[in-house]
Amino acid sequence: CQKDLLSALPTTDIPDTKAFDTPDRIASQAAGLYSVLKHGKFMGGKVLIANEVRGEDYTNERSNNVTLFATWKMVATGESQEVKEIWSQGYKTINSVNVFLAGMNAKGTSVAGKEASDSYIGEAKFIRGLSYFQLLQLYARPYINGAGNQPGLILYWEPHTVAGVYTRARSTVAESYSQIIRDLDSSETLLPKEAATATRANAFSAIALKTRVYLYMGMWDKVITEANKLVPATAPFESDAGYQLESNLRTVFSGKYTGEEAIFTLPNSEATNDFPGTQTQMAYYFNPAPLGGNREYNLRPEGIIGDAFWKATDTRRKLITTASGKNYMNKYISPDPYTDYIQVIRYAEILLNLAEARVRSTNALDPQAIALLNAVHGRSDATTIFTAASFDSPQDLINTILKEKHIELLGEGFRAMELTRLGLTIPTKSSIIPPTTPTTNNYVWPISSDELVYNKGCKDNY
Amino acid sequence: KVSDESGSPLPGVTISIPGGKSGTVTDAKGIFSLSVTTETKTLRVSFVGYEEKVLQITSDNLGSIKLIPDTKAISEVVVVGYGTQRRTEVTGSITSVKGATVATLPVQSFEAGLGGRAAGVQITVPNGVVNNPPVFRIRGTNSLSLSAYPLIVIDGVPTFTGDVGSTSAPLNPLSSINPEDIESIDIGKDAAATAIYGSRAANGVVFVTTKKGRPGRPRISYDGWVGISSPNRLPKLLNARQYLEMKNEGLKNAGNANTYVPTLDAKGDTVDTKWMDVVYRKQAVSQSHNVNISGGTEISNYYLSAGYTKQQGILRQNDFIRKNIMLNLNQRLGKALSIGGKLSYSNENSLISGASGSLEGEAFASGGLARLAFLTSPIVAPYNNDGSYNVDDGYIGGGDNVLQTGIYNPKVLLDLDRSNVESNHIQANVYAELKPWEWLTLRTTYGGDYIFMNNDIFENAISGDNAASNGMANSIHSDYKRWIWTNTAQFDKTFNYHSINVLIGGEQQRDQRERYGLQRTNQADSYFNNTEGGWINDYSSDLLRRQNYLLSSFARVNYNYREKYYVSANVRQDQFSAFGENNKKGIFYGFSAGWEITKEQFWADSKLSEVFSGLKLRASHGKVGNLAGLGDYDALSLYRPVPYGGDPAIYYYQSGNPNLGWEVSKKTDVGLAFGLLNNRLTGELGYYYNNIDGLILQVPQAPSAGIPHTNTTSTIPVNVGKMYNKGWEFNVNFAAINKKAFSWNTSFNIAFNKNQITELSGSELTSIPFVTSSLEQTSVNKVGYPAGMIYVVLTKGVDPLTGRRIFVNAAGEDVYFDPAAQDKYKYADGKIASPVGTKDAVAYKNTNPKVLGGFENTFRYKNFELNVLLTYQTGFYVYYGSYAGMKDQRYWNNSIDVLKRWQKPNDITDIPRVVNGDNISNGSSFAIAANVFKGDFLKLRSVGLTYVIPETAVKPLHLTGAKVYVRGNNLAIVTKYPGPDPEVSSNGNNASGQGVDRNTLGNGRTVTVGLNVNF
Repeated sequence: CQKDLLSALPTTDIPDTKAFDTPDRIASQAAGLYSVLKHGKFMGGKVLIANEVRGEDYTNERSNNVTLFATWKMVATGESQEVKEIWSQGYKTINSVNVFLAGMNAKGTSVAGKEASDSYIGEAKFIRGLSYFQLLQLYARPYINGAGNQPGLILYWEPHTVAGVYTRARSTVAESYSQIIRDLDSSETLLPKEAATATRANAFSAIALKTRVYLYMGMWDKVITEANKLVPATAPFESDAGYQLESNLRTVFSGKYTGEEAIFTLPNSEATNDFPGTQTQMAYYFNPAPLGGNREYNLRPEGIIGDAFWKATDTRRKLITTASGKNYMNKYISPDPYTDYIQVIRYAEILLNLAEARVRSTNALDPQAIALLNAVHGRSDATTIFTAASFDSPQDLINTILKEKHIELLGEGFRAMELTRLGLTIPTKSSIIPPTTPTTNNYVWPISSDELVYNKGCKDNY
Repeated sequence: KVSDESGSPLPGVTISIPGGKSGTVTDAKGIFSLSVTTETKTLRVSFVGYEEKVLQITSDNLGSIKLIPDTKAISEVVVVGYGTQRRTEVTGSITSVKGATVATLPVQSFEAGLGGRAAGVQITVPNGVVNNPPVFRIRGTNSLSLSAYPLIVIDGVPTFTGDVGSTSAPLNPLSSINPEDIESIDIGKDAAATAIYGSRAANGVVFVTTKKGRPGRPRISYDGWVGISSPNRLPKLLNARQYLEMKNEGLKNAGNANTYVPTLDAKGDTVDTKWMDVVYRKQAVSQSHNVNISGGTEISNYYLSAGYTKQQGILRQNDFIRKNIMLNLNQRLGKALSIGGKLSYSNENSLISGASGSLEGEAFASGGLARLAFLTSPIVAPYNNDGSYNVDDGYIGGGDNVLQTGIYNPKVLLDLDRSNVESNHIQANVYAELKPWEWLTLRTTYGGDYIFMNNDIFENAISGDNAASNGMANSIHSDYKRWIWTNTAQFDKTFNYHSINVLIGGEQQRDQRERYGLQRTNQADSYFNNTEGGWINDYSSDLLRRQNYLLSSFARVNYNYREKYYVSANVRQDQFSAFGENNKKGIFYGFSAGWEITKEQFWADSKLSEVFSGLKLRASHGKVGNLAGLGDYDALSLYRPVPYGGDPAIYYYQSGNPNLGWEVSKKTDVGLAFGLLNNRLTGELGYYYNNIDGLILQVPQAPSAGIPHTNTTSTIPVNVGKMYNKGWEFNVNFAAINKKAFSWNTSFNIAFNKNQITELSGSELTSIPFVTSSLEQTSVNKVGYPAGMIYVVLTKGVDPLTGRRIFVNAAGEDVYFDPAAQDKYKYADGKIASPVGTKDAVAYKNTNPKVLGGFENTFRYKNFELNVLLTYQTGFYVYYGSYAGMKDQRYWNNSIDVLKRWQKPNDITDIPRVVNGDNISNGSSFAIAANVFKGDFLKLRSVGLTYVIPETAVKPLHLTGAKVYVRGNNLAIVTKYPGPDPEVSSNGNNASGQGVDRNTLGNGRTVTVGLNVNF
């Protein structure tokens, strides 16, 4: 008999007992955290798709619940596949970080050395902060609703590796945001301040994400503080950290962009398992068939593309394509296997975050805000130059910045959360879908029904 | 001269003088000579497999002695694991089925033909896809997360079960055995009969014995049949005119200004496509041929067979083709040593175009053909008027319709796609047996079971799942390799009235699995349709490399006194690699006792002895285990490699459980076997209680815990569950009439089973929902209920005043649903209610048959034989999920039942007002009680009429016998179930999701004609 066969280890997966054995393997683990984050059911696809189609810009073509028909109709329930998938993939990402951090603490740091370990830990915390932030936008009421006193997320820091009864109540929205800020502050400290490849987080990624987080909390001064670490005071706003706007937005959306506008990007490749899975790919949802898509959603003529503010000569209209008389969002261009990089944070957003925060905090026609708006708008439409005279009031300027952001970030997974953070009604998009006001139940998603079944401490949103 | 019943000489027949020592054997011509003294009055003529004859010596009877095959002797022997026992000695619960029973059935594998033939054995053929493993349960469901399939031991080698292929064409490895090569099937049910298989015995053990040669002249036999299958009880759907009426009414009710419009064909007629006719074969043709030759002497024998079968499914492009050969050889070398072996090879092809929607995990496949057949709108055609396929961006085209009319064009899928698997399956074993003394048998057996599979998948670039990737081809090679080495020593001793038999043994079994595939997408030219052709993108696929190892030792003691009192004990220790490091070893046992009451003096003295020819009481108790279906590395926590933007990365992929151990079943069994009227009436009454502990459950973890998973719910296997099965079994066989010209044999069996889950995971977790095909929550395992309860939201019909579906939420309140309103869910008083969903589901109905059995009658009149088998199951329900789809108010076509929809106040109906886009009222979004139906059925499972061609007619053709037969399978069913067949399973053999009929293909009915000739 061959008793050693009774405890033979797998040859295709690495057992946990050997996961922190070498510096290379720990480096692979750090990279692996991003792989979990960029899963098509999370930041690689469905989080963005959900935020897009909850907004008012699209018409559903397939009536398929698997491709977010219920979400588009604003009738997603706790049992809806996307509601369960994003929730579970998000927490899977968070626990991957927690398991990694515990492993680094126990063994990994001594194997990998302090410098590398600090960097890995900073990246891990960035990933956790980003994951909590994105979950918060879908599953909790916005901060503006009671200054964060509404139920937020279930927060975990400890690693989960064994079967157990995991019961924990939801923290408040404010507490959830505090955790996100804690993670990002720590990332900023631990990570190097250099704009290395955008596919890995650095200190600037954490800072940039903080501008978004504080904006969503309505803490305008904090947005400005963070943004000022990246954005110089005057045009052309070329960052000392090396970030600047591309002259043509199409360059950013040409497939595999990691240039100077990219602050944090999730890469895909043609390698097996390095691209999003079935029915989670951006280009599959939004492109027409001739471009390799499945035309799940087209752009409503009454949506933002019908807005007169968006001029016909604006080059961003070149990121819209037409087929069979319908308009399609075409920021993602690669056909199967859909290897477009996902631009999670890009410099244009930070400029607009800062612009909005400046107007709101000064409550004036802030010149820097106008300059920032011009920087973003002017790249695609040089014929329009805003001046203080262009606006009736600070609110008018804010509305213009918001519309600019709507156009600029169309297709990048912002629309619904950009509405909810301000407590705005989600407009109608079909005769069968009434407008969704901030007080209605379906203004945000319900909690995954699985969570409610297995975690008795968790309460649903209504 | 000694000959067999047909007059052929029998060599090697033993001729002896009773009480004397002298004797001889016949030569090759069957001739013998023996000198006897004048005191010798009788001769004994004996030969294995034939009835022994004792002849008075007279001058005229020795010229020609004819021996008759001893069919009784064969049926009196029962296979018990590492040996055989005489039926009378058996103290465990074993049901035997003769191979001939399943030999000529139009099934792909033998076990599909066992339904109704053995008490307590449930066979459910889950759908009409050929070569699909049936759901096979012995005395109820004995596992939840692991396999509940019995252990199948073929000629001493446990074999692979389940669907081992990687395509949409199922591949049941048991189909490699030609049913015609099976001698007997013995089904061990209790601990006494199965404990010798220790950790694998909890679901029962099925011993399959293939045919061996018998001494005598070579016999050649041919059997062949051809048959036709046709779909049965297909649902009735709307035609084009009705579709337009319903859908446009729905659009109007939804306030949608669009309308559906008819399409005109080339002749200008309105298109009215019956998609059922596109997808189903009206007449599927099957045939099977088998030739075997066998023979031998007392010292050597052989059996060689070759078979070919090609069976078409009722789904177009779904075929099963098997070519097989088998050789069994046994040779005695000298007095003490014998050697032998078996070599069986089969080549099987399971062919299908793509997903039928019927296999486990396929229910919601976009290209699932069974669903496309009822979903696709009748107003569109397979072809455009110019003869090209009707396709629009990968989907079926709508003609002038701007609204969607279907998913994929099923005709394109059927014509172009394939999802085939070819298996080369070798099962072989060799043995050597040494019998140095009469009381000792030493035996060593080495067996191998190797399956090599080539999976061949192609999906076109025009319409289907891979239209967006411009076509896809995938070739997957997969190996299943098992070797098993068994060594046993057996001691047999009889002294005075004591008979004792001891077996000890050791066994090792190693399994290795390897699989790798190459997937290619983006067809370079429509000419290419295999993986090796022209494609742009290449990916590895389906990678797997695993192994497990089972190391065992075992012992058995049988003892009887005067063949009146019997006791037996089994024990086995197993060590298995897949269990957690703290729990790799398990010890299993079984004890049993039997009492042949008729052998007692008091019984012989009583009047009862005149009625009873046999009465045996037996009882057993034991502990057995289950490991089937456990992943080889489920106990480990693992990191999996995955690239990140082209860089190497590993991620936390699996949380294991180092304490993972055996599922343990404690089985108690009591049986009373009886024979009356000189055994013309025989039967058995049995009671069993199977208490299962340490059930391995995939225990769901709160998603927020973030335990890794591949689905939406993270699970970790833990030994936490408890469940029991208990019940009664009764069977009776009666040779009611036994005249020379006419005979009637009847047998009946019935089994009552009660299954209940008693614990899941402490007090924290009392129910675990089950999700069909990762999408629809249909079932639940709940403490206090049977396994796999249907888990649905309760409904209270349709409100006669408003036509709204009434749901009952978790609080027990009636909630009215109006798909057209802004606030869709309201209470009766108009107050807004929370949306109803699966969170409001209740454990609604049981899916495990409470009563099941069979009733068989065989009539013989002269040369005719008529066999009729009825099977029945009652006390269970089926969730008819397909019916939810057939009432879906999106673009889907509907059942004609939708014509009865609510239209105006006071309409009494169960079909709500139709509102376009509504997929909630009728159960598409979440499962509802309105789609649950009683599954009780009585089936005319098989009817066979055989005509034995008279000897006078076959003799001139040099035949020793011939018969022709006609058989009908699945001819009729009595059931209230509205779907095609209540015997159905969308979740295959998965024990937690039985009784679900979601988008599956129904079973066909088959009629065959066959011929059997013997040379």
